Order: sequence, then structure tokens, then C-alpha cells
Amino acid sequence: MSFSTTQVKDSNSLPGGDSTSRLVLQMARRDISTLFRTPWIIISRSLAFIVQLFVFAYLISGFVVKFPNYFEYYAVGSVVGTIASISFIIGYDIFEEAEEGLLDYLLTLPISRRQFIIGRALGGAVRAMIYTIPMFVIVALMEKFSNPLSLSFAIFDLFLLAFGVTGLSITMAVSVRSANRFDVTLALLELAVSRASTALYPLAFMPSYVAAFAPYSPVTFAADSMRDVLEGTSLNFLSIAGLLAFVTIFVGVGATFYFRRLEGGVYA
Amino acid sequence: MFANFGIDLFVTAATFGNLIGYNYFLRIAPGSNLITAMVAAFQSGRDIWREKYIKDLASYLLTLPVPRRTFAVSRITGGVARSLIATFPGTLVISYLYGILLSPRLIEAFLVVGLFSLGIVGLSMAVSAFASSIEVFATLRSAIQLYLSFLSTIFYDVTLFPELVQPIVHTNPMTWAIQAFRAIGNQGSTLYPISILVGPSLAFALLGAICYLWYARL
Repeated sequence: MSFSTTQVKDSNSLPGGDSTSRLVLQMARRDISTLFRTPWIIISRSLAFIVQLFVFAYLISGFVVKFPNYFEYYAVGSVVGTIASISFIIGYDIFEEAEEGLLDYLLTLPISRRQFIIGRALGGAVRAMIYTIPMFVIVALMEKFSNPLSLSFAIFDLFLLAFGVTGLSITMAVSVRSANRFDVTLALLELAVSRASTALYPLAFMPSYVAAFAPYSPVTFAADSMRDVLEGTSLNFLSIAGLLAFVTIFVGVGATFYFRRLEGGVYA
Repeated sequence: MFANFGIDLFVTAATFGNLIGYNYFLRIAPGSNLITAMVAAFQSGRDIWREKYIKDLASYLLTLPVPRRTFAVSRITGGVARSLIATFPGTLVISYLYGILLSPRLIEAFLVVGLFSLGIVGLSMAVSAFASSIEVFATLRSAIQLYLSFLSTIFYDVTLFPELVQPIVHTNPMTWAIQAFRAIGNQGSTLYPISILVGPSLAFALLGAICYLWYARL
């Protein structure tokens, strides 16, 4: 009974009065709620993080003599790498919805296309943040990062990266039609963005052909900015500007592509 | 797949080589190829899962005039062939790095990749038979890939692991596949690592076939 009352109230308010932000948040909430319906993903990503940090990084840091405190370096980078990896998931969701025909239903909802797209990107980013914050807390405790301002800036960096990668993932989901090609493209992109960056190893040790591109990776922007702010060096304005540009470009491009595909009836 | 291998080898392994030493790069290089084989082999299971839950093709495929056992074996064989094709350039690159590109030992390198893929195709088919949702499939795949990659001797010796974990590392097919590659690189005999690798590979392939037959009962 109460459910139907809520429905009537919602539909009455939608045509005239609902604010844009409320509709965007409603779309975002839908993506966030899928997080709690799919605990398997949380389990697998958390397991991956734990094994990478406490097995791989711990053991391999014993071999790395040319770079002191490699484990600490890797720990911060692994959080950045994990959030980038998780933010890619929204692309898989959108691709699956299109394949299963759920997208057709979503498009009948009384919400504008633009709000729909921004809401999805925001939902994907917030979901990635919820996944990653516990991992960030583990690293912060291990490395004794306690300055609230530094921690806030680091979380802001993570959010910007998540938002941008979500836009990139949506762009890929609506640009590639074959399921196998989509899987491979997204996996490859995820690998390239994370590995060709300073998240897991310092720029000075990369081969020259990687070092030429790595400074422009969004994961590098986030990793460098986070390390600078957490280690108390300074705010890395250049990296933050790079991250902001990445977000603007890919959320914008993702929205435009998505919008065109939806209106073009490609998913029909 | 080759791009995947290329990133693993020429970005990650090369960087760790610079951080630790060129010998370390050579040591972990075959791991890049075997990880690619693992990803390619897991695609077989994903295809079977998609046939059942997304494309609704399973019932059609099972009406084909092929006995179920033959069908199960052909799925495994197809998966291994696909993995061998996907890793073909990578195996050549590793063989070049190990100086066996123009030697008859190249056949041993392909044999190791094929045997390793056999086990992983079987595992992926077993997972696809029991995973009712893509999330469960992806989680199990991820857990198996973590086990194969990080609880093996790709990056470090078995002696570095705590004693409690060492039996897990010793029973990992990746450990024996990588040991076989290293034996090839050192001009040693691959008989011992390959004879151990055969065990888990055949066991996993059999498990995959049994699970597929169970799943094909509809």
C-alpha cells in the first residue's frame, strides 16, 4: 500500500516540479544499489586487492633494491589502480542491459536522456568509491596517513579518476557492438591505462617507449597527485588539472555517444 | 590477445626488469604468455555461459547430431586450439628471448602452452556449468586467475612463501608450466615439470568435461 502511494506521489511530481539534480541522483542511486545486489563483485575485487598487496607487493618489494620503500609506493598505487579497474564495470553493465533489452525499459522512464547519462556516470563513480574506500583506509592505516585535509584531497583525486573512467567505459560500451570485441577492448584499455602509469612503478624505471606516454595517463595524474598530497609534499595542481580535463572530455564524449546511439535506435 | 601479452611483457615485465635486473625480466617473461593463455582459455567457459544464459543457444547446440561426450571433448579441444592460436605470437616471442626460436625445442614450448591451456579450459567449463549469473562467473574466474598468477612461481620462488602456502603453490599448474619454460631457457630437461603439469591439466579437463555433460542434461 505504502509502495503504491509513493509511486503516485513520484509520478505526480515528475512532469512539473522535479529538479534535475534529484533525477540525476535517482539514476545514480539505481547503479549504486546494484552494488549491494552483487556482493560477488565486492568479494572478488577485495580479494584481488588483498592478494596483490599482501602477497605480490610484499614479496616482490624484497627484490627491489634500486627504489627504497617500494611496498609503500605500491600500496598507494594499488588503490588508484583498483578504483580505475572498478570504474570500468559500468560499461559492462550498460552493454549487458542493451543485450538483455533492459535498456528499452529504462528509456521509457520519465527522465531526460542527459539526466539519465550523467546519473549513470555519477552512479558508476560513487559505486567505485564505495568499493575502494575500505582499501584506502587499510593503506592509510598501514602508512599512517592521518592529516584529514590530505586524506580529503586524496579521496577527491580518487573520485575524479572514477568519474572520468566511468565516462570512458560508457563511451566504449556504446561504441563497440560485438560482445567479444567489447570484452577484449575494455580489458585491454583497462590494462593499458593502469599499467602504462605511475600507479605501480616509478616513471624513471619504465622503458622509454612507455615513459613517453605514462605521464599523460589519468591513472598517473591520480597516483601522482595522491602521493604528493598524502606525503605532505604539496598539491599537485598539474595532475589535478589533468584529471579535470580527463573527466570533462570523457564524461562529455560518453554522454554524446550514448545519446546518439540511444536516439539512433542502435539498441532497438 | 597479443596486445594484452605485449602490455604484460613490454610494459610490466620490462619495468620490473629495470627495477630488479634483466635476468628478472627473462625469468618472468614466460608468465606474460601463460597469463595470456589463461585469459584465452577462460573465454571458452564464458562462451558456454553466454550460450546458455544470454543467447539461449544451448538447446539448439544440443540438438545437433553429435553425441554429448564427443561434443564435450570437442569444446575442450576447440578451447585449447583457440588458446594456442591466441598465444602463438607470444610463444614465438618468448622462444626468441630464450634462444630456441629456430630449435626443435620450440615444439616443447607449444606443448607446455597447450597442456596448461587444457587444464584452464576444463576449469572454465566447470565454472560456466555452475555459475548462474555473470557476477558469479566473473568472481570465480577472478579468484582462479589470482591463484594461478600470484600463488605460483611466476614472480618469486616457492621458498619465499610461508610453509603453509607452499603446497598450494606446488599444486598450481602455472608453477609447473613456468618451470618447464625456464628449463627450456636453461637448456635443461622439461620432462619433470611437464610430467607434473600433465596431472592437474588432465584432472581439470576431465572435471570440465563432466561438468559440461551434467550441464548438457538440460
